Amino acid sequence: MAGVVDVPQQIQTDAKIVVKAITSVFHLKKTRTEPAREFIALKEINLEVKKGEFLVLVGPSGCGKSTLLDILTGLAQPTSGAVYIDGNKVTGPALDRGIVLQGYALFPWRTVRQNVEFGLEIKKVPKRERRAISDNFIHLVGLDGFADRFPHELSGGMKQRVAIARALAYDPEVLLMDEPFAAVDAQTRESLQDELLRIWEATGKTILFVTHSIEEAVFLGDRVAVLTPNPGTLREIVKIDLPRPRHNSDTRSSAEFGWIRRKIWELLQNAPHESRHHLNAVPVAEAISPTASL
Amino acid sequence: MAERRSGIDYYGVAVLLILWELAPRLGWIDSQFFPAPSAIFAEGAKLWADGTLVLHITVSLKRTFLGLLGATALAVPLGFVLGGWFPRFTRFLSPLLNLFGQINAFSLFPLFVLFFGIGELAKFSIIFWSCLWPILFTTIAGVQGVEPLFIKLARSMGGGRGALLVKVLIPGALPSIFTGVRIGATVAFLMLIAAEMIGASSGLGWLVHNSSVNYIIPRLYLAALLIALLGTMLNYSLHWLENHLIHWKTS
Ligand SMILES: Nc1ncnc2c1ncn2[C@@H]1O[C@H](COP(=O)(O)OP(=O)(O)OP(=O)(O)O)[C@@H](O)[C@H]1O
Ligand SMILES: [Mg+2]
Repeated sequence: MAGVVDVPQQIQTDAKIVVKAITSVFHLKKTRTEPAREFIALKEINLEVKKGEFLVLVGPSGCGKSTLLDILTGLAQPTSGAVYIDGNKVTGPALDRGIVLQGYALFPWRTVRQNVEFGLEIKKVPKRERRAISDNFIHLVGLDGFADRFPHELSGGMKQRVAIARALAYDPEVLLMDEPFAAVDAQTRESLQDELLRIWEATGKTILFVTHSIEEAVFLGDRVAVLTPNPGTLREIVKIDLPRPRHNSDTRSSAEFGWIRRKIWELLQNAPHESRHHLNAVPVAEAISPTASL
Repeated sequence: MAERRSGIDYYGVAVLLILWELAPRLGWIDSQFFPAPSAIFAEGAKLWADGTLVLHITVSLKRTFLGLLGATALAVPLGFVLGGWFPRFTRFLSPLLNLFGQINAFSLFPLFVLFFGIGELAKFSIIFWSCLWPILFTTIAGVQGVEPLFIKLARSMGGGRGALLVKVLIPGALPSIFTGVRIGATVAFLMLIAAEMIGASSGLGWLVHNSSVNYIIPRLYLAALLIALLGTMLNYSLHWLENHLIHWKTS
């Protein structure tokens, strides 16, 4: 198996996050209809995120966005390549990165406050301090008065806010967000976007935000990284020069917004021919690969 | 909803009781075999006064709780270890476990008596065996059914095995475990009564058996009614406990 390629433990860099030549291959088990084969979810991804930057990853379903985020979190190991935070190689999960998962994943047996304090408990922050911190973040996401509610008593938008507060509460420098607003209605989504920008400006976090909405990507990001599937490759990084602070009401109506959106849409439409080739080529290659007999 | 559940039709019960009281008195049925409620009640008052009733009830309840407690104490940790740490081994083992779960404790009663004598230990074993399997199965199912996102999240925050167990797996599996305990308790109580009829010198099951041997028919009815009542109460109190421990479950 590939993967035992030498990668340095540390690198010299100014960037907050460096993604270096990440490739991720899944070994699919044999099924009744198909032999065992390899599936390349991500191929040679290179990416740098500056400190305090808001970077958005956009791409169609199945292009490996969540896989990349898992690797950044330290929950999954890449087949080859490495991720560096502040120049140090990521070897596992740590509290310097906060995550908001696809789906809220709030603990139903914990109140809003207890959910927000989860990371702090793991960090063994004393109770009094925890309380002060959770009060602060519950306020930041606009949920004052809901601290003692249970998740099943909240709306989708409120749950999403709790998930964000939970990720922020233990003060990670990097916030990794996987389609956090996918499950709420359009209006709530826009207000959550406004709110996220406000929080970002207030806290100065480095944010890596995954979405498959082009609009959302353009509205939020400093830069937008466009991924294409089969295998997941980084197509291009588009710089978004829209002025800040942005607000949903006027930013979206600007001509420039429409122009950038169009550009990203085209990038996603015209996936390079090479990737289409891959679609057909993969099974053939796998059929003769040594793992096929497994 | 709780209203509904406790809403047994009291009028129906009252009418039934009146009919039952009248029937033997009017000679519709033989009071020898069908004593009137008042006779049963009188018998109850008598046994209550001399303390025997309390004794038998306490003995039966104590046996049930001890067996239930013992089974829970073994099944829950075992379920966590099997379901959480050795999922593959558990899958491999599951046909065998299912087979064990199907064995009625009574078919093993002679064995228990052989090993432990006719004393308390044999009865404890019956209850222990009957409760063990449902609790073990639901614990394994509970652990394995914990939402993977929760585990992912806890791990992403650097939570170790201990934190994962205490803060995610246990609360996540609790509802399922409780179902097992409730099923176990119900089965255990039924089993106990039967065990007491076969080999015991006290307890409600023994009271039934003893009354029938000695032809004390009102006492027989009394014991049977008490068993039904206690079984129901056991079930309700476990429901109550469940609702209070797992109040966060969406209603
Ligand atoms: N554990 C796994 N085993 C095998 N294949 C996997 C595994 N996880 C993901 N994949 C595959 O890798 C590809 C990328 O998955 P991923 O979840 O990263 O996509 P995504 O871009 O996040 O999609 P979505 O927008 O739908 O969330 C998919 O084709 C998926 O089927
Ligand atoms: Mg995804």
